[in-house]
Amino acid sequence: MWWGGRGQSFNIAPQKEEPEMGHSGPKCVQRTGMLEPRSRQLDGHVASGCLPGEQILAWAPGVRKGLEPELPGTLICTNLRVTFQPCGWQRSQETPLSSEYDFALVNIGRLEAVSGLSRVQLLHPGSPLKFIPEEILIHGRDFRLLRVAFEAGGLEPQAFQVTMAIVQARAQNSQVQQYAGIPLSKAGQSSGSRKPPVPLLETSEDWEAERKKQGARGWRVSTVNESLPRYFWVPKRTLDSEVRRAFGHFHQGRGPRLSWHHPGGSDLLRCGGFYTASDPNKEDIRAVESMLQAGHSDVVLVDTVDELPSLADVQLAHLRLRALCLPDSSAAEEKWLSALEGTRWLDYVRSCLRKASDISVLVTSRVRSVVLQERGDRDFNGLLSSLVQLLSVPEARTLLGFQSLVQREWVAAGHPFLTRLGVTGASEEAPVFLLFLDCVWQLLQQFPAEFEFSEFFLLALHDSARVPDTLTFLRDTPWERGKQGGQFNSYTQIYNPGYCQPPAGNSVNSQLSVWDWDLRYNSEQILQFHNPGYDPEHCPDSWLPRQQPSFMVPGPPSSVWLFSRGALTPLNQLCPWRDNPSLLAVSSRWLPRAAISSESLADQEWGLPSHWGACPLPPGLLLPGYLGPQIRLWRRCYLRGRPEVQKGLSAPTISGLQDELSHLQELLRKWTPRISPEDHSKKRDPNTILSQSR
Amino acid sequence: MLGKGVVGGGGGTKAPKPSFVSYVRPEEIHTNEKEVTEKEVTLHLLPGEQLLCEASTVLKYVQEDSCQRGIYGKLVCTDFKIAFLGDDDSALDNDETQFKNKVIGENDITLHCVDQIYGVFDEKKKTLFGQLKKYPEKLIIHCKDLRVFHFCLRYTKEEEVKRIVSGIIHHTQAPKLLKRLFLFSYAAAAQNHAATDPRNHTVMFDTLKDWCWELERTKGSVKYKAVSVNEGYKVCERLPAYFVVPTPLPEEDLSRFQGHGIPLWCWSCHNGCALLKMSALPKKEQDDGLSQMQKSFLDGIYKTIHRPPYEIVKTEDLSSNFLSLQDIQTAYSKFKQLFLIDNSTEFWDTDIKWFSLLESSSWLDIIRRCLKKAIEITECLEAQNVNVLLLEENASDLCCLVSSLVQVMMDPHCRTRIGFQSLVQKEWIMGGHSFLDRCNHLRQSDKEEVPVFLLFLDCVWQLVHQHPPAFDFTETYLTVLSDSLYIPIFSTFFFNSPHQKDNVGRESQDTQSKPLNLLTVWDWSVQFEPKAQMLLKNPLYVEKPKLDKGQRKGMRFKGPQGRGGCFSSWFSLFPASWTRTALSSGTAWPEHQRQLSLPLTQSKSSPKRGFFREETDHLIKNLLGKRISKLINSSDELHDNFREFYDSWHSKPTDYHGLLLPHIEGPEIKVWAQRYLRWIPEAQILGGGRAATVSKLLEMMEEVERLQEKIDARPHGQGALLAEAPLLLRGSARLSALFPFALLQRHPSKPVLPTSGWKALGDEEDLAKREDEFVDLGDV
Repeated sequence: MWWGGRGQSFNIAPQKEEPEMGHSGPKCVQRTGMLEPRSRQLDGHVASGCLPGEQILAWAPGVRKGLEPELPGTLICTNLRVTFQPCGWQRSQETPLSSEYDFALVNIGRLEAVSGLSRVQLLHPGSPLKFIPEEILIHGRDFRLLRVAFEAGGLEPQAFQVTMAIVQARAQNSQVQQYAGIPLSKAGQSSGSRKPPVPLLETSEDWEAERKKQGARGWRVSTVNESLPRYFWVPKRTLDSEVRRAFGHFHQGRGPRLSWHHPGGSDLLRCGGFYTASDPNKEDIRAVESMLQAGHSDVVLVDTVDELPSLADVQLAHLRLRALCLPDSSAAEEKWLSALEGTRWLDYVRSCLRKASDISVLVTSRVRSVVLQERGDRDFNGLLSSLVQLLSVPEARTLLGFQSLVQREWVAAGHPFLTRLGVTGASEEAPVFLLFLDCVWQLLQQFPAEFEFSEFFLLALHDSARVPDTLTFLRDTPWERGKQGGQFNSYTQIYNPGYCQPPAGNSVNSQLSVWDWDLRYNSEQILQFHNPGYDPEHCPDSWLPRQQPSFMVPGPPSSVWLFSRGALTPLNQLCPWRDNPSLLAVSSRWLPRAAISSESLADQEWGLPSHWGACPLPPGLLLPGYLGPQIRLWRRCYLRGRPEVQKGLSAPTISGLQDELSHLQELLRKWTPRISPEDHSKKRDPNTILSQSR
Repeated sequence: MLGKGVVGGGGGTKAPKPSFVSYVRPEEIHTNEKEVTEKEVTLHLLPGEQLLCEASTVLKYVQEDSCQRGIYGKLVCTDFKIAFLGDDDSALDNDETQFKNKVIGENDITLHCVDQIYGVFDEKKKTLFGQLKKYPEKLIIHCKDLRVFHFCLRYTKEEEVKRIVSGIIHHTQAPKLLKRLFLFSYAAAAQNHAATDPRNHTVMFDTLKDWCWELERTKGSVKYKAVSVNEGYKVCERLPAYFVVPTPLPEEDLSRFQGHGIPLWCWSCHNGCALLKMSALPKKEQDDGLSQMQKSFLDGIYKTIHRPPYEIVKTEDLSSNFLSLQDIQTAYSKFKQLFLIDNSTEFWDTDIKWFSLLESSSWLDIIRRCLKKAIEITECLEAQNVNVLLLEENASDLCCLVSSLVQVMMDPHCRTRIGFQSLVQKEWIMGGHSFLDRCNHLRQSDKEEVPVFLLFLDCVWQLVHQHPPAFDFTETYLTVLSDSLYIPIFSTFFFNSPHQKDNVGRESQDTQSKPLNLLTVWDWSVQFEPKAQMLLKNPLYVEKPKLDKGQRKGMRFKGPQGRGGCFSSWFSLFPASWTRTALSSGTAWPEHQRQLSLPLTQSKSSPKRGFFREETDHLIKNLLGKRISKLINSSDELHDNFREFYDSWHSKPTDYHGLLLPHIEGPEIKVWAQRYLRWIPEAQILGGGRAATVSKLLEMMEEVERLQEKIDARPHGQGALLAEAPLLLRGSARLSALFPFALLQRHPSKPVLPTSGWKALGDEEDLAKREDEFVDLGDV
């Protein structure tokens, strides 16, 4: 069976829900086992599934439609989400946060009420609903669709109520940031010394460990926190005073920091735009330069947003894509391709891939140090730097590696998730993170044997962006995240007076992160996070880093280049201030751009792919394809609302074989205990998959 | 050293990289000509092949770039192929050569494979045909399998240029006589070599027995009979010597209109319904008497096949309301231009608009319409229990396409390799599809050239792509099959009808006393070594569990379904091991669990089979009354029927051994990347793509197989027999996504300029100081 992700994520077979609950073993005795004929009262156990602080606003019995077979249950609207609870279904104790049937309020993109032939879109709480809805359609921003038909026979008022409640709750929700996450202890875990599954990079130890892992010997952890993560990496030789001095001259104080250290010696840095209004003195400029240069004789500056879409572009493309992927989309079958092209989403995906591919060639093969510069340093810098690492570092392609990559380059680096995902309703909505996930999916498609995680993991991550139970993606900055974590306890107390607070000081660790998958997905689902086609040959062990060249003495950079459109242009200087302090417009210091080179860096480096056999690529480096025919639509994600497209997506034959393999091995082991177990197939235990190997 | 010298700045196209360094000047080449010829590879001639003309010091450009790199060699034209002989075979001695075609080399173009020839005169590209006044400095050949060759003739002697260019143009473009086909010279010369492969069990349908066997297999023998009335093509030259018609049809009717207006049997469904085809009666409007006669004749025919035991007949006229051959031709010629790329710049220009260009060619839409039509017909046969009669002017184009698609979807036997080959043999070869005209092999009329068979293969590819485990063969098989259309040593695709084949054979028989032994394309060992043939076989395909005896009975007739024992062990044993696990371990696991994880083998209580076989049977019968009225009703209702059938099938788990329907929604129809993109170097993904999955799969299958053997060996106390399976894909660390084709065109070319330049750049201060100069990385 396909595992059901959230809601209609995959080909879920809802009748399986019953036996699946048996998974929770003895615990299922606790539940109110009787399947009463549709009680007119809300079952007690329904309410028990609520998060702390969650209130049920309205509910009505209904039947979920659209997916076979139809599923009777209850539609519940709370102040956090809309849940469809099938009859007799209950959140399993082991995965208290599972949200298979949930729609977070922020996730609701469109709401439609249907009665007979009339169909009304409900937007504002004021908009009148003139009829009793027979059916309600909830379109998720995550491309899911929930279709519930209400029961007739005296329950119409309830249907009306729940519909209106959803409209109301959604409107209110967009005004208030009321999500607070839930503490670990509430989730049924001991709040003691539990290690988070992925280093959250909230302590300097985490950063130090990560630095060692990368072998970045020329760098150290700095604790001079301004608007940045509490900790970050700066060159070893730079004093904290210099760091402060330099960072002041960057937009929002986001000075150059290390993102990744290539074992060949080059570094990938990211920083914000130069704060051009400032008037730095000579010392300041020297500090800025030495930090950008970070001990390398030459540095390549990359203007991140060059050739990439603007935030508004991304948002528009995503909206168009969502409209296209609606089940009742007006695009005719034979016009599908041009409609898809018209969204430009895939165009943006490929421009990201292309740029990332070029940069990874610069960093790995040419051993250049690259500084990614974006004005805000919060959006495409993160996207590019994570993509570059995915392309160049085999370790980043493991489950753990990828999660810590996201944690470091997105969460800790302060990507404004809340704003970008449109939770606040602010105008700066732009799903850059989802664009990133699409890029990763493309890589996964193109290199099915190179990634330890699977499409399902990406999908789970995609859907986690808007769930109300963890703060990972629900805050704009790490600072806010921390603050909220501290304030959180008083918040819950309002609703749950009897609830015990976790000991203070532990608040950071007790906060749930999105990486606590085991609370939201059952073990069977977590098994699916693992890509059965992952080839252990490509695992980090086989990746032998080259020797580190000795660091150069800092001095004036001998060459500074600007990388743009596949070509390097020499630059006069690193900073815009030195000779002409009045030069304000940052881009004007750059030379006129060269014509677009059609050849990518990889082509320039190794010729076209047909030659690569002759001159081998650096080990571990992936060169993605970004041509029209190679960029695909992530159907399992975007076309979830159209169940007819989902059915029969290619069968998981590899995992089937893997099952067969492990079964055979088991048989062998049972029969001949002396034969040493074959270790060809990975142990597929969810704990080992997600566990942290620190 | 000069054998693959490098020349820059030459050639006809624009030279965008002026900084290019030329190592070899043309003058040098001429002085060193001897050396060049010495290094050349000798030309391999097939039996009966004759060298017609040749030219030396031709520079073959490495296609992908504009920087004019190339390999020197000899360009040769024989009566079979155009070949380029360079010494670039050195790199092709390892893994990838295992998928080498034994007949056609990497740089060989059979004469029939040539699509268009262009010449470049003063940087202008012109189509070449007929007599030339002026000879081009560059020759561009577009092939029907979408390869593009660039040959620079600048350094070739003038008389050689004249000879080779006019030779190539004449032998590829000028109309040809059938008996001049290379096929015959080859067959005459290769008499002794030709041996029928005992493992080749493809049913050829050239004997009465074959047709009877097919009738038996589909249980159609109750209502239909095989007739031999056309033996010696006495009745009609269009029809095969043997065919199947409804039993009560009087024999004299068959000869009445030369086989027109006769319902010919294609296939019988498990419920007794049959797929029939009929070529329309010739239309002669002025002659009233004749049309009257035709009418009464047809009435008689319809009466016969409407009467019980026959089901109601639904006529599907493919000449109207469906695709026209013209549509297909236009669409394909637009579509193929997307892949016939002369240089990278062109590629990048089209790349931006990829989706809309693709859409505007409407090739994918044509595929969708074909699949949709096939589903409609499937619905009639399966759900409505009616016979379907396909009607077309000659019943040899769209009839073949639609009827074979329906069979691929409905008959799991047609999804095995042998079954598929038999199907092509039955519907296309014996069905009289005029391959000679449709492929324009004789260059007699461009108008007749319509890629109907290719369209069929593309439709099948969509099915293979959507349901890989249901097919015994892979997409590589389909690609290779499509290439075989242009190899004139196989008789399969080089005749317009079986009559033509037999007739020409007989003609030459008079002169030569021995009968010609024409090769069939189904003998894959002619083209590929056994190892390479492994790639044609889908490792994930699982044979139907042997529950259904009826299905098997037919098999025995032609021997067991050939699993070809010569293939490596994992390969031949895997399906057996699969069933063995199911039987031996006996616990709950095999049947139950496998169904969860891998819906390959559905247990007998599978809902789908029940749905289509038993449970609905009575339901359908109840609906019979309604159904009849539905047939008369509007197309709206037909559409609803279709929708319902389509949706209900797709909402249930797939039984790979039962009915198989494709998805036809917009996002689901895809480009057959392996065939169309394989020669485009930009489109490769190194170490990725399907090849990565397939190699992983094979590895795991091997492992499963090995363990299985261990388990089997254990009770007998034998030591584990570890088969050293030679794995085609193993060892080569990173395959291209377009494997097995992409690597074939690998060239051992070295970077033209020293690459160390960049790394040393940091020290080269003068370079760094030229601040205002734009430095392109590629040139540093």
